[in-house]
Amino acid sequence: MGTDGSAWIVSRTARAPSNIAVIKYWGKRDEDLILPLNSSISVTLDPNDLSATTTVSTSPDFDADRLWLNDKEVSLSSHRYVSCLKELRDRATDVKDEKTGIVITKEDWKHLKLHIVSKNNFPTAAGLASSAAGFACLVFTVAQLMGIKESFPGELSTIARRGSGSACRSLHGGFVKWEMGKRDDGKDSIAVPLAEHHEWDDLRIVICVVSSRQKEVSSTSGMQESVQTSPLLHYRAKEVVPKRITEMEEALSKRDFSSFAKLTCADSNQFHATCLDTSPPIFYMNDTSRRIIGLVERWNKSEGSPQAAYTFDAGPNAVIFVPQKSGGALLHRLLYEFPPPEGMNLSSYVVGSTELLEALGIDKLEDIRSLERPIESPKRDEGHGELAYLICTRPGNGASLCE
Amino acid sequence: MGTDGSAWIVSRTARAPSNIAVIKYWGKRDEDLILPLNSSISVTLDPNDLSATTTVSTSPDFDADRLWLNDKEVSLSSHRYVSCLKELRDRATDVKDEKTGIVITKEDWKHLKLHIVSKNNFPTAAGLASSAAGFACLVFTVAELMGIKESFPGELSTIARRGSGSACRSLHGGFVKWEMGKRADGKDSIAVPLAEHHEWDDLRIVICVVSSRQKEVSSTSGMQESVQTSPLLHYRAKEVVPKRITEMEEALSKRDFSSFAKLTCADSNQFHATCLDTSPPIFYMNDTSRRIIGLVERWNKSEGSPQAAYTFDAGPNAVIFVPQKSGGALLHRLLYEFPPPEGMNLSSYVVGSTELLEALGIDKLEDIRSLERPIESPKRDEGHGELAYLICTRPGNGASLCE
Repeated sequence: MGTDGSAWIVSRTARAPSNIAVIKYWGKRDEDLILPLNSSISVTLDPNDLSATTTVSTSPDFDADRLWLNDKEVSLSSHRYVSCLKELRDRATDVKDEKTGIVITKEDWKHLKLHIVSKNNFPTAAGLASSAAGFACLVFTVAQLMGIKESFPGELSTIARRGSGSACRSLHGGFVKWEMGKRDDGKDSIAVPLAEHHEWDDLRIVICVVSSRQKEVSSTSGMQESVQTSPLLHYRAKEVVPKRITEMEEALSKRDFSSFAKLTCADSNQFHATCLDTSPPIFYMNDTSRRIIGLVERWNKSEGSPQAAYTFDAGPNAVIFVPQKSGGALLHRLLYEFPPPEGMNLSSYVVGSTELLEALGIDKLEDIRSLERPIESPKRDEGHGELAYLICTRPGNGASLCE
Repeated sequence: MGTDGSAWIVSRTARAPSNIAVIKYWGKRDEDLILPLNSSISVTLDPNDLSATTTVSTSPDFDADRLWLNDKEVSLSSHRYVSCLKELRDRATDVKDEKTGIVITKEDWKHLKLHIVSKNNFPTAAGLASSAAGFACLVFTVAELMGIKESFPGELSTIARRGSGSACRSLHGGFVKWEMGKRADGKDSIAVPLAEHHEWDDLRIVICVVSSRQKEVSSTSGMQESVQTSPLLHYRAKEVVPKRITEMEEALSKRDFSSFAKLTCADSNQFHATCLDTSPPIFYMNDTSRRIIGLVERWNKSEGSPQAAYTFDAGPNAVIFVPQKSGGALLHRLLYEFPPPEGMNLSSYVVGSTELLEALGIDKLEDIRSLERPIESPKRDEGHGELAYLICTRPGNGASLCE
């Protein structure tokens, strides 16, 4: 309460990044608690490029919990929001807001309502894991506001997990593992950091946002259908992924890009294979996605060792990993194969960091037209605006408080 | 020898059909003998629509074995041809040619050379299993010429198998199983008939030949790569296919189109899933293939039970099975979604049997333009000649002598 009984408001703002799995999560063993059939490993993307920023405020004047996502009010009645907010409220403690001097007790939290305002710095429709960033941010920010302390390592990630499985991985930066856990209550199904982003300081990430008119099958229903109908998925989860998790952890600890690349490509393809093995089949990749795969595979083959690695989530966008020294060469191949559509300017077509453009010596559109054909590439097909744009980014930090 | 020592020539001509697997063969356990990792089941297509016709001649005037495929001479030096011809010659017997009176002894066959002339009644480039028809025909025709009798059931199919695995299935009509066998020498890896084509007299088959500029990975090398790199393939071969073989045999014996359809679609998709699970990944289907899958899945869903089944081999062409009573409705959907390109006439776009066109009441191009939108279809995208043409056919007889 404000010491003079007047209206008050206490806020916290935080930012949480997207993440992209390199060993994929696809299929739950428990729908309510969101417990997965297998462990997964991800890379957290630089929040400067792709993140959700969330302000959570509380005030005795608020009548109800409310949420605004990208300026539009959305309902908090879904099971996932209800679970998260309940788990958070159960753990709320006494806090004193340094800025306002307001003291809120554990008892107060039972009655106080929250207004949550969240914005993504990237388009939701681009299929860029906005719910992972969003739920991670919501949970992190509310936890900050409510003075929540973990009673066991990874506890906060179990709450983010209840909102959206992959959200738990966005709490940490760098490389992160979502340990599948064994317990029925999900207390050991947590995110653990594997490597900090600065340990892979020379890794760059280029996201190819593919123009897509198709309405895609949502991850939630897609993975349910796969669990129910794909024989290959269960074999994958039980026999293949555990080995790959071990191999990936080893590749990460040894900074072995070559093994990282092979595992990443293989696991992306196997995930999509289980989608194809679903009845009815689910197609997330399209012909443009496959052209990008072909581009990377051709390059890797012509060099005799992996130059880049690709991965695709539940959509046609490609996420390509490349060591910084080869980043220019990757961009060369992408821009040669997928030049910008007529009338689009360079800074709208290649967004994020300009580092790779500079490495390639490109600062205007004409430079793209005069790119030479890479040695292993076939003569260019006239593409027709198949890429909406590219984002140049890198691994980055996990969820963090702003200000 | 001709009785007066003069030059003579003895010939046989036969025809053998293509076949399409509904439970797929993909992966060998023995490259030399062509022994598969799993059994497979196929439907033999009507040779009136898709077949190889082969004339094999012998004469003391021939210096060497020679082969002409579709009017072009090709080498017989490859391992597959060498194996087939050796296996056949080892089994040659005394024959008397009724037409000419010429007698050829077992001993003569050791020295006589063969001229083999083979033609397909469909384009080789269309990806329509021409090597299955071709090798089945070659083996069948030479066997007829040389008076070969099987010393055990299926022996001839073991020889066709040495030329091209799936060729063994083209020796029989209707539904055929290629039993994988257990023996290391391959003597029990044979084709067995499951159901004669007239037992499925009301089944119709529409083949959608997809325009494709892509050079595809050959089946032979593709399946080698899959065997070497796909974990899912081995699980499929060992655990999934044996069950599906049993289920398919049951569906066939019960004339259960619904189960047949579900198994066929699932197995096509799982085969392509193992191709995607290969490193590097193999893509045989393209966006047009997927649109066809979407069309069939949508129709099946809207009716609540399978109306048609699709399957794809190592290429983008769709083979669609439909009961004759729904054949018009299938053609309606295909022609609505994929109208003929400008300037193409109807009889070039829909080839083979005209039965389904008649059922749909279509006899000129304008009828296609005025087709109504099927209830479950979205508004038509303007397709751009994605289908080269369609072939309307049905199950048919196996290899047989002409004349």
